[in-house]
Amino acid sequence: MGLASIGTGSEGMQLCIFDLRRGQHEGQELDKILFFFPADLPFSTQLSVIGLSEGLITFTRIFSPEAACEVIEAERHSHVFYEAEPDIWMVMIVEKSKELETIWRIDALREVLKEIHCLFMMFHGSIRALLDKEPGGELTRAHLYPFIMDYLRDFLVGKKLQLPSFRDCLKERRTVQMLTVGREAAIEVQTLVRTLESCAGNTSCSSLILFQDLLVSTTLSPEDTINLFTYAVLRLTPHALSSGASSWSYLRKGNSSLPVTTGSTLVHSGSVSEQFYGSRDTSPAGENRYRITRPLQHDKWFKGKDGFLITDIWGVDAGSSNVTTPTVWLQQTEERMYLCAYQYKSLTLILLIPLSSILSGEQGLSVVKQQLLENASLKILKVEEKLSKGWGGENAYHVSGYRYLLVDGNRDISRASPPGKVTTLTKESLLALNRLREEVDSEKSRAKWDNPGHDKDMEVCIRAKNNAWAIARITGGKELYMVLEKANETLLYASEAVEKFSNSRPMEEDTTKTEEEEFNTGPLSVLMMSVKNNTQVLINCRNNKKLLGRVRAFDRHCNMVLENVREMWTEVPKTGKGKKKALPVNKDRFISKMFLRGDSVIIVLRNPK
Amino acid sequence: MSSDSGSSSSSGDESVEQNPDSNPKLVDERFDLLTLTEPVELEPNHQENGNEIANGSLNRGSNDGGAEDDQLRVENHEIFGDEGPASPSSSGYAGERGSSSASSASGIGEVSEIDGNEIHEVRNDGSLEGISDSRASSWVPGKRHVDEDDASISWRKRKKHFFILSHSGKPIYSRYGDEHKLAGFSATLQAIISFVENGGDRVKSVKAGKHQVVFLVKGPIYLVCISCTEEPFESLKGQLELIYGQMILILTKSINRCFEKNPKFDMTPLLGGTDVVFSSLIHSFSWNPATFLHAYTCIPLAYATRQAAGAILQDVADSGVLFAILMCKHKVISLVGAQKASLHPDDMLLLSNFVMSSESFRTSESFSPICLPRYNPMAFLYAYVHFFDVDTYLMLLTTSSDAFYHLKDCRIRIETVLLKSNVLSEVQRSTIDGGMRVEDLPVDPLPRFGSSPHLGQQRPPTESPEGPREPCIGIGGPAGLWHFIYRSIYLDQYVSSEFSPPLSSPQQQKRLYRAYQRLYASMHDKGIGPHKTQFRRDENYVLLCWVTQDFELYAAFDPLADKALAIKTCNRVCQWVKDVENEIFLQGASPFSW
Repeated sequence: MGLASIGTGSEGMQLCIFDLRRGQHEGQELDKILFFFPADLPFSTQLSVIGLSEGLITFTRIFSPEAACEVIEAERHSHVFYEAEPDIWMVMIVEKSKELETIWRIDALREVLKEIHCLFMMFHGSIRALLDKEPGGELTRAHLYPFIMDYLRDFLVGKKLQLPSFRDCLKERRTVQMLTVGREAAIEVQTLVRTLESCAGNTSCSSLILFQDLLVSTTLSPEDTINLFTYAVLRLTPHALSSGASSWSYLRKGNSSLPVTTGSTLVHSGSVSEQFYGSRDTSPAGENRYRITRPLQHDKWFKGKDGFLITDIWGVDAGSSNVTTPTVWLQQTEERMYLCAYQYKSLTLILLIPLSSILSGEQGLSVVKQQLLENASLKILKVEEKLSKGWGGENAYHVSGYRYLLVDGNRDISRASPPGKVTTLTKESLLALNRLREEVDSEKSRAKWDNPGHDKDMEVCIRAKNNAWAIARITGGKELYMVLEKANETLLYASEAVEKFSNSRPMEEDTTKTEEEEFNTGPLSVLMMSVKNNTQVLINCRNNKKLLGRVRAFDRHCNMVLENVREMWTEVPKTGKGKKKALPVNKDRFISKMFLRGDSVIIVLRNPK
Repeated sequence: MSSDSGSSSSSGDESVEQNPDSNPKLVDERFDLLTLTEPVELEPNHQENGNEIANGSLNRGSNDGGAEDDQLRVENHEIFGDEGPASPSSSGYAGERGSSSASSASGIGEVSEIDGNEIHEVRNDGSLEGISDSRASSWVPGKRHVDEDDASISWRKRKKHFFILSHSGKPIYSRYGDEHKLAGFSATLQAIISFVENGGDRVKSVKAGKHQVVFLVKGPIYLVCISCTEEPFESLKGQLELIYGQMILILTKSINRCFEKNPKFDMTPLLGGTDVVFSSLIHSFSWNPATFLHAYTCIPLAYATRQAAGAILQDVADSGVLFAILMCKHKVISLVGAQKASLHPDDMLLLSNFVMSSESFRTSESFSPICLPRYNPMAFLYAYVHFFDVDTYLMLLTTSSDAFYHLKDCRIRIETVLLKSNVLSEVQRSTIDGGMRVEDLPVDPLPRFGSSPHLGQQRPPTESPEGPREPCIGIGGPAGLWHFIYRSIYLDQYVSSEFSPPLSSPQQQKRLYRAYQRLYASMHDKGIGPHKTQFRRDENYVLLCWVTQDFELYAAFDPLADKALAIKTCNRVCQWVKDVENEIFLQGASPFSW
């Protein structure tokens, strides 16, 4: 059995999901277990794991009712807790062994649990909802098992699960890696996005564009972006399609040949689990009782001839022998969306169309796809070309002399030294940084409890035994971690280097993105509204004339292109000598198109009509 | 058996203590008491465990008087009041300078808030209600909040719990609440530990939100700390080790045998009356750097004075005394060990804590069995303790149980010499003058080198703070230096600067103490440490740590301090310490070579 090869035995890890609301009576304890890996562990062992977890959750609530057990550190194991949904807990137990490779950061492991849950939610909805749908729990188990097994396969190195270790301390899970885009290209991308999202007519679509494994643009909420981005990098990008394996850990680089053998053993896992659960429930539930989709199944996505990515994971339409289009569930809008992925060279475009807006199902979708091909093909071509030109290759974000990780917690974005460069670091340096990150993690979580909403600012520079500098700097929600591995550097040199780095490589290079955000929300939203809705604005100018018109375009200097403008002013008519001053007269004229330089703008008012 | 009689840890049973060879009748009485508490399994091993058992039951027997107990608390309160986190002298001196913040009058009240920090709820300790209202909660040795148990909200909200329990789940000590009422809770702790143990593992810690639960298993004794202070795991574990050491100091490790014989053995009677010892140790976890630095500190004295004290101690040590230690509060004046005998700084910490927290030692000369856990955890030594004045005391340690009169003679000899050579008055003067102050940090080490930079004497206390030399008074030393600790690795000693105005309140001092503690833990990581340098800036401080083969320097600066200047300042501090090392450290053949 393939499963046995990775799970059982002393080494490796255990992962379980249980629901505290279930199995409250004696003899029904098994009912609590929603997932357990390795599944072939005796139930008594499974129950004792869950019993300990439950006991400590209850125990810690005595003192810390606001946050129950997060981690148990024992001599030989670490138990990492994550409360995925109220009363639904995920616990990962990892074994510490004598080799140093098994040193990790607890928060990094918790991110894995979080990722599992978020991805699961994206495809299957919340666990609680599944449990409510079928209180027996069988449906939930049948969904969880193949899903998590497929997910874990990405961590398989040889026959062992390789979880994120200290070697991955210059990476941050649950963040998005962005491509730095020049201004010109950004504008092209914007128009492409607009074209894409208009393919389905008037329905409000969302889109995600990736170049290689980097995000170019998104119109989703941050949380949904992370989930979809993660999925795309795992399964959809050209890299994922070709290697069939995740590239998350450096260790798995160049291992693409391995999963073929191990993969075949794991393919059984799904059926094994169902047999297992079936026999346990002693119900006639075979594999066909539920139609379980396995979105994380490997090697199931292909690029079609038309450029669209297709998969049969979601089944094959009986009538037309077409594959069913995948659907995902968005957290922000709480809506189910069709997932439409198109790939051109390095560019992957994901279009999300609300299920509700396409009544005719697959037929409707193929219309949308047709539209996309017709309207956007050219633009996609252009964007791809532009991005490829600007793309500096794998080591584009390498800064020589530095090994770094930048995390913008406010935007869930991270950028790191290329993996190939990080592997040049010595183990000692990485261990030192890993340890430092753990310290920072605990400071951060403490600050979270002490004064929520207030970011902790700190700076730590440590010179380790091997003379390398491990540096962490947190300011305003942005975190910078860095390793400098040059001997004879003084603290001043090190901190200067950090200073230099922060000045030269801020993450705000993608200014267009932030600018657009600001236009949408900031004071310039008055102008933005006019552009979008074609409404009128009144502009008071420095020459004391007023302009009433519609904004076609503008920039941050308030330079504007206006249309259908009525210019209005007052004049005092000239009178002869000695006569009484005449009353001012209102005057106006019409200008169909004009450019207004921003420095003459005093006030802009929205026409309330 | 004679030695048993001298043993006492808390009560003022003077007759017993003054007569170490007391009548056997008393001993028998104690055994009677003992058999009452544990009739079944202890009777057979009377002989081998006689020492500690008698010790415990004695304490219990004599500590029942409630009135006496109260009196004890008040007395101790006065003694500990000004000791707090500040070094003993700082308050007095600051008062003379006219600094408002750290005057001795407010000292007690401020110290009280230190522990006040740890308590959210209104105190409802019956016996202390009167005081607690007016003085918030001054640090009082001994057990508090006895009426609480794990069901009370106030108990649950205490910031730092310490528990000692037996492997069968019987409570032995709890910092807050009555041990007997906490039996159920202890059983829970025991269940967690043994559950994990059954799985072939050993639980070390559990984290939940701000809370951290740390477990330490020492044979049949389990120690648990539940804390929501920011202290790292390593520090809390070190504190549990010290608490265990303190227990061993009172009972020796042979207590394990009692548990072998009877797993349900109840240890509480043996530790009866030692609450003050544990609570003062726990209190020192929030002010005494020795608890995490594993080093001791000396009272600043002129080299010649310390030499004089050392000479007479050495004299005594040659006559069959294992260790001779002269201390002033927690600071060492001088100490000498017999050849090949080494004393671990942790043992010194525990011993001085034991002596200082037990009121009985102050009232008369005493002869008491104690065990040094790092020296030999299995056997008792005998400590002759005598207080020369309220702070200064002499400890003579020997292996022989009938050396009382010999040690008494030694003490008389020592006392004569100390009086003759003015050591005691020098010590008192030093207590008033205080130690190193960041304001006195030589601006340029070279020119000042000649003008003997003796601490405290340099500047008469009357000198106005606005002297031309200190433009930065009130904001610490040069370059925003607020405080530093220097630890000499070869000497196993540290020196800590006096607290200066920016760090005048006990809360600030405790916060700095915790920051140092974290810094220490971060520097000395077991897997990858020790690191060489660390610079750490947050909203409270700039902390700099520098570890070399010879010394460790911990320095705290203003959070806005300039990095380059701070580094320069650290170098100057090191130079300064080297310049005055003869006065702040106990030099010479260190007995601690292990």
